[in-house]
Amino acid sequence: MNPLAPEGAPPQHGANGDIQGGRYYGRGIPYLPIHNYPGKLIAIEGTDGVGRSTQIQLLREWLEIKGYGVVETGWTRSPLMQPTIELAKASNTLNKLTFVLLYGTDFADRLEKEIIPALKAGFIVLSDRYIFTALARAGVRGVDRQWLRNLYGFAIAPHLVFYLNIDVKSLIGRVLASRGMDFWESGMDLKSGDDIYDSFRTYQGRLLKEYGSMADEFHFRVVDARRSVEKIQDELRKQVDAFLEPSERTSQT
Amino acid sequence: MTFSLLHATDFADRLLYKIIPPLKAGMIVLADRYAFTAFARDVTRGVDRQWVRELYSFAVRPDLTLYFRVPIDVSVDRLLARRIKLKFYEAGMDMGWSTNLVDSFRLFQGKVLEEYDQLVREFNLEVIDAAGSITEQQRLVRHLIAQQVKTSNVETTDDEPVSA
Repeated sequence: MNPLAPEGAPPQHGANGDIQGGRYYGRGIPYLPIHNYPGKLIAIEGTDGVGRSTQIQLLREWLEIKGYGVVETGWTRSPLMQPTIELAKASNTLNKLTFVLLYGTDFADRLEKEIIPALKAGFIVLSDRYIFTALARAGVRGVDRQWLRNLYGFAIAPHLVFYLNIDVKSLIGRVLASRGMDFWESGMDLKSGDDIYDSFRTYQGRLLKEYGSMADEFHFRVVDARRSVEKIQDELRKQVDAFLEPSERTSQT
Repeated sequence: MTFSLLHATDFADRLLYKIIPPLKAGMIVLADRYAFTAFARDVTRGVDRQWVRELYSFAVRPDLTLYFRVPIDVSVDRLLARRIKLKFYEAGMDMGWSTNLVDSFRLFQGKVLEEYDQLVREFNLEVIDAAGSITEQQRLVRHLIAQQVKTSNVETTDDEPVSA
């Protein structure tokens, strides 16, 4: 069986250094030109249970008090795809390829219907997870990395990507103290063993390694997530402020 | 974009459950439409030509691809003759090119056919004149498939003894 791969396809650019916030990573969506949209896209990345949603909630309040319009978007939250994804997860018929493509479809829907319109209208879009979650999860499951990057060539490069970094040991403590370990977050589908604790440790360890390997490639701003909520929030606000300030000044003159 | 990925997901599911297992078992798989449909339709909807090809690079390359080519007028006449209403997406109504269903179908499918012509060259599709008689078409189809089956030595059943 030969693959249907295009012959002599040129290597993709995008994820190779020439990334510009607010532009497409790769081939983009030809019918949606996004150049010079006034909005800003800020992604908060990090593994399961690292504290992303708490930080986003605080960031949102702060930005709104400062007078910015804020829109939130989150992984698998597309109204079109969420029920299907939940159903597929529950029915055990997913394989790594359909898994990746379902996530991709959800993301495409949110990009077209939420993110791009919000950027056009001048909102700050706070994204709870972004394509890096998909790249990390699929990478751990052995999906071809170049194919994944081509697939997500239609994604917009965020203006800022914050990566909440943590070690497995601290993560285990946090997760157990809050809601406990869950089937998918423990990578139980990889069938590395029946023990959820061992599976969680191995799987999250590999995920963290995948995230880490993307830090340079996608210009992550790495934030130490082992500190207190307030300390992390302070650092995020400082960096967001420093980023927004220059564009603020030009818009006023 | 969403449309394109949704179809790709469905295709991946069918590929892994319905296409690859019988191929491994040495069977002949007949696919009514394949990735080429997506190449033609998605590009007409404005998706990047190269991107959609890379997206489907996980698909198995068919040993033989038959393309039943028909002029747009014949296609419209046939559909209208046996169906009351053209389907919304089949007519490309989502593109907003025309509020008239038949006009929109003609415009949209006309462009899809142009894309197919490019695919014929790019992927060596065997073109069958679908405006001709059914008997003629079927004879050509049988001839092409017979040739293919002969050259690729399709395995007949592995006669493994049933162990007790």
